[in-house]
Amino acid sequence: MLSKDIEKAKSIIMNYDGPPIKIMEVCGTHTHEIFKLGIRNILPNNINLISGPGCPVCVTPTEFIDEAIYLALEKNITICTFGDLIRVPGTSSSLGDARSKGANIQMVYSPLDSVEYAINHPEQQVVFLSVGFETTTPASCIAVRNAKNIELKNFSILGANKTMYQAYLALKDAADAYIYPGHVCTMTGMSELYKLRDEENVSGAVTGFSASEILSSLAYIISETQKNKPFVANLYPRVVTEEGLIKAKTLVENTMESCDSIWRGLGIIEKSGMKLKKEYIDYDARAKYDIPKIVGKPNKGCKCGEVLRGDIKPFECPLFSKGCTPEHPIGACMVSNEGACSAYYKYGENLWKKN
Amino acid sequence: MCVGLSARVDKIKNGMAVVDASGVKREISTELIENLYPGDYVMVHAGIAIAKISSTDEDEVNKIMETIKDAK
Repeated sequence: MLSKDIEKAKSIIMNYDGPPIKIMEVCGTHTHEIFKLGIRNILPNNINLISGPGCPVCVTPTEFIDEAIYLALEKNITICTFGDLIRVPGTSSSLGDARSKGANIQMVYSPLDSVEYAINHPEQQVVFLSVGFETTTPASCIAVRNAKNIELKNFSILGANKTMYQAYLALKDAADAYIYPGHVCTMTGMSELYKLRDEENVSGAVTGFSASEILSSLAYIISETQKNKPFVANLYPRVVTEEGLIKAKTLVENTMESCDSIWRGLGIIEKSGMKLKKEYIDYDARAKYDIPKIVGKPNKGCKCGEVLRGDIKPFECPLFSKGCTPEHPIGACMVSNEGACSAYYKYGENLWKKN
Repeated sequence: MCVGLSARVDKIKNGMAVVDASGVKREISTELIENLYPGDYVMVHAGIAIAKISSTDEDEVNKIMETIKDAK
């Protein structure tokens, strides 16, 4: 009986009275679901849930937005992008601001839609803003491969694709265990998580997104953490397999290769990015348009970096709710629907209003 | 942008499928998923199916809670 299991999990969580445990939920959707479901309200004081860097919009650096604005305004290129990137501030403006100056910014649901757009608008040069982790990267690869197959000349991508493994490593001391992002793990499978456990003593549980999945995962992590031994478990086997999605891995390996990547707030993480291979260079907007080297300057007061590392809670940022709100975001974590600041603002009023 | 959506497969043709996500129909790529048939449920990210969903969360959660019980 599901309800019995949920009650059991809740009881384990609520009655935990051992040493403090820090748990980082990596995925932005987990952050939001945990708030929406009211799970934070049942946590005892000795369980600290930290929101990690698993929102691709939030970790996209300022200079990426600056590059996109340069293409849109200086080169008169049509930008196709996921909607939540439009309001992310660059150094001095956002893509939304660029649109008000006449730039052609198109919102798409999928990279495949941007290929369709390019096919239907042969008079325009089209660049898709390719951000995202393992879940989104294959879609960009399919888009580029399809474009190459039909020799589409007016389409390319501006890449900022990232992989999670190096980020798990970079943040491993921030928490006792990760709530691993269920959908990234559908792609990667379990082997890299076993490696983290065996070689780096990193613990965590692959977790789904329903209330019962999140609660039972928290109960599991609490129970395992008390054994003082690194652990990893796939608690989302209805979607995540041991081997991951082999076809997706092959597709990405054939299209992209590893590179260093800048993460907003975390800096450069070696081998944490993916860029197009040489044979797809015609579809790489940086090469195609010879974009100058841009050094982005994020707002100095913005503490998105500290939030993403779990060093501070969103409401400890001096701008939170004072100038930086979902309507008028200053930092990326407030823009994206998956961002930690946005989640705290929307659902965590009881946590920050008293502060 | 980075939100997974579960959807039921209605029709499949040439690596593309029409899926139904709570009544909203959309065409997505299913080329990464093998052995997919109408009626199956998939997880969709950015216009592509990234996984086949094999069951509801009930059995899964039951097994997790059994594991915790066994550990005690």
